[in-house]
Amino acid sequence: MTDASLSTLPPALANPRKPARFALARRTIITPILLSLLILAVAIVTVMTGSRPFNQAMIDIMVRVVLVVGLYIFIGNSGVLSFGHIGFTCLGAYAAAWLTINPLMKKTSLPGLPSFLLEARLPYWQSAIIAALFAGLAALIFGKVLMRLSGIAASIATFAVLAMINTIYSNWESVTGATSSVVGIPIVRVIWPYVGAAIVAIFIAWGHAISRSGLALRAARDEPTAAAASGVDIPKERLIAFAISGVIMGLGGAATAHSIGVVTPDTFYLGLTFITLAMLVVGGMSSLSGAVIGVLLLSALIQALRWLEAGVPLGSTTFALPKGLQEIALGVIMIVILALRPAGLIGNREITLFRVNRNK
Amino acid sequence: MAHKIRILSATMAAVLAAFPVLADDDKIVVGFATGASGFMEAYDKPAQDAAMIRIKEINAAGGLLGKQIEVVSADTKSDRAEGAKAGLSVIDEGADLVVVSCDYDFGAPAALAAEDAGLVSFFLCAESVKAGIQGVGKHSFSASVLAAVQGATMSEWAFKEKKAKNFYRLLDTWTEYNKGICDGFDWMMPKLEAQGAKLVGQDTFKNDDASIAAQITRIKSLPKEPDAIMLCTMMPGAVSAIKQIRAAGINSMILNGSGVDGSYWLSAVPDLSNFYTPVQGSIYGDDPNPDVQKFNATYKKETGTDPSSQYVYPGYSMIDVWAKAVTRAKTTEADAVVAELEKMKDEPTLFGPRTFTAELHHQNSARYLIVDIEKGKPSVIGSWTISEPVPMNALVK
Repeated sequence: MTDASLSTLPPALANPRKPARFALARRTIITPILLSLLILAVAIVTVMTGSRPFNQAMIDIMVRVVLVVGLYIFIGNSGVLSFGHIGFTCLGAYAAAWLTINPLMKKTSLPGLPSFLLEARLPYWQSAIIAALFAGLAALIFGKVLMRLSGIAASIATFAVLAMINTIYSNWESVTGATSSVVGIPIVRVIWPYVGAAIVAIFIAWGHAISRSGLALRAARDEPTAAAASGVDIPKERLIAFAISGVIMGLGGAATAHSIGVVTPDTFYLGLTFITLAMLVVGGMSSLSGAVIGVLLLSALIQALRWLEAGVPLGSTTFALPKGLQEIALGVIMIVILALRPAGLIGNREITLFRVNRNK
Repeated sequence: MAHKIRILSATMAAVLAAFPVLADDDKIVVGFATGASGFMEAYDKPAQDAAMIRIKEINAAGGLLGKQIEVVSADTKSDRAEGAKAGLSVIDEGADLVVVSCDYDFGAPAALAAEDAGLVSFFLCAESVKAGIQGVGKHSFSASVLAAVQGATMSEWAFKEKKAKNFYRLLDTWTEYNKGICDGFDWMMPKLEAQGAKLVGQDTFKNDDASIAAQITRIKSLPKEPDAIMLCTMMPGAVSAIKQIRAAGINSMILNGSGVDGSYWLSAVPDLSNFYTPVQGSIYGDDPNPDVQKFNATYKKETGTDPSSQYVYPGYSMIDVWAKAVTRAKTTEADAVVAELEKMKDEPTLFGPRTFTAELHHQNSARYLIVDIEKGKPSVIGSWTISEPVPMNALVK
C-alpha cells in the first residue's frame, strides 16, 4: 500500500538526481581561497614595510575582518539584523583576559574569579580558542530564546542582549573590574596570529554557508513561508548560525584583547557595533566577499583620512584636513556608496576566479 | 571581472595610501601620543602645552645633554585602539620619552607600547595608581598626584585647620578617579576618628543621576548637619550635585578632589561658598610662588588663554623631572633614566616636591594648595601636606 502511494509522485521528484558529493564545495571554495590570499597579500606588504604603527593598523584590520565575518555568518545568512553580536566579542575578550593575565595580578585586580581561572595562565592561542567557545556557548543559550523572534523584534532583542552584557560587565567589580581597565593581558604584536584568525573565520563562514544548515537558512531568508513549508526548521537553523557567529565574535574579542592589551566594557559597545555593521552593509550584507572587502575598504579609507588629518607634506607646505573631519568624510562616503549600490559594493555576489557568481 | 579588479585595486591603493613616513632619530625626541581630537583633548592639550613651555625653556638654555629636544606627536583620537597605534608611531619616529594621555584607561595602550619597546612613558596627569608600575610596567610614570592623596589631604586639613568634626562621605561611583579620592578619605578617617572626628554617614550616587534628592534627604535627616561633606566626584555631574546640595539648604563645608578645579562652571552655582579644592598650583593669580604666576603669564602668551584648571601644571613638572633625570644619567637610555627618577626624593618642582621610588612611580604625598570658594570667588587660603604618605595597601585594592 505504501509503495503505491509513493509511486504516485511525479518521476522528477520520486527519483531526484543527487549532485556529486562536495560538488558545491568544489564550485565555491575558490572564494575563501581568494579572500585568504587577499588577506595574506595585505599581511606580506605590512611585514615588508617594517613600520610598527602600520603593522598595528593592519592587526586592527585583521581583527575587524574576524568580527565582520562573524556578523556575516548570522546576519548575512539569516537576514536578521543583529545589534547584539559585539556583546559576544566582549565575552570573548574578557575570557581571554581571565585566562592569560599573570595569576599574581589577577588575585588583586579580579579577586572574584573562580579559583581555576585565578590559577590559569594559558598561551594566547589556547585562551583564544576557549574564549571563542565560551562566547559561542553564551550565544547558544541566548539564541535558544531569541531565535524564536523574527524581524525587528529579533533585532531589538539582540540589542537588549548587548545592553545586558555591557551592564553586567560594567558593574561586576570583582570579576570584570567593572568600568576600570583590565590590564596585564599579554600583547601579541606579530601580525600572523591575526591573519590566521581571519582566515579561519573566513573558512568557517564559507563552510557554514554551503552546509545543509546554511543553505536552509538562506532559503528561509529569501522565502520564509516556502522554506518552512519544505520542512526547514527556521528557529533551529538560525540558532546554529547564531552560535557559530558567536564563536567567531568571541575569537575576535580575544584577538582585540591581545592586540591592545587592555579591555574595558565600553570598548565593546555601540561604537564597535555600528562600525562593524557599517562595514558589513557597505561591503554587501549577504556576501562573504562583501564582508571582507567592506572591512578592507572602509578601514583603508579611515586610515587614509587619518593620515590626511595628521598632515601630508606637499613641497614646502603641509596639507592637513581639519581634525575630526575623518568621521564626517567617512559618513559621507558611506552614504554615497549606499546611494549608488544599495545592496553594498559586492551586492550578494562572491568573488571567484572566472566570473562573479550569483550567490544562491 | 572589471568590477572585481576595480574593487581590489581600490582596496590595495587605499591600503598603500595609508603608508606612514619613517623618521630618523639622531637627537633627543619627546613623543606625545595624546588626544588631539575627541573628548580627551580637553585634558591632554593644556597639559601638553605646559610641557611644550618647559621644552622650549630647556632648548633656549642650550638643550638637554647639549642636544635640542625635538617633539613628535600622534593623535589617539581619544580611542584606545588608536592610542596603541599613536604610541607605536611616536616610537617609530624615535621618541626617547613617550608622553601619553591624562587618563589611565586612554593612555595605557600607548604606555604599554612604550613599555614593550623599553622606553620611558609618562602619563600627563593620570591619578590612578595603575598609571605606573602597577598597571603598565617599570618604565612608566605619572606626572600628577594620586587621587587618594587629594581625599586624605582634604579630610586632614578640614579636621586640623577648620576644626571639622562630623564628616559625611558622598561618592560618585562613575570613575576610578572618584573612588580613588574616597579611598584616601577612607584611609585617613580612622586616624582622625582616633583624635575625635566622626564619620556620620555615607552614600553613593552616579555621575549622570539627574537628581540626588534621595541622598540629600538622608543628609537632611541626620540629627545635626555634618561639618564637612567629602564629595568624591568629577565633572560634569559634580556641578549638578553641588547645586542640589546647596539648594537643599545644606551649608556644610564641601571638600573635593582637584577634578572640580577651574572657574568655568561657577556661574552655574551662583554665590557658592564654603567650598574647598586641593590644587597643585593656583590658576587664580594668587599662587604664593611668584614663579607659578610667571608660568601662568607665559602660558597665556603661548596659548592665548589662561590655564583653565590645575591640570595644566603636571605637564610642566613632567618634562622638568624627566630632563633632570636625563641630565644626571647623562643618557636618555630608559633604565638609566628610570634609576635616576627613582632616586628623586622631594625633588623641588614649580608645583611642589616630587618623589619616585622603585615601588611607586606616582606621588603618594604632595603639597597641595587649598582653594576656597566664597561667594563664587576662588582664592588660595593655605597649603597642606598630609602627615604621612598614603600606604600601598590603601591604594591597591
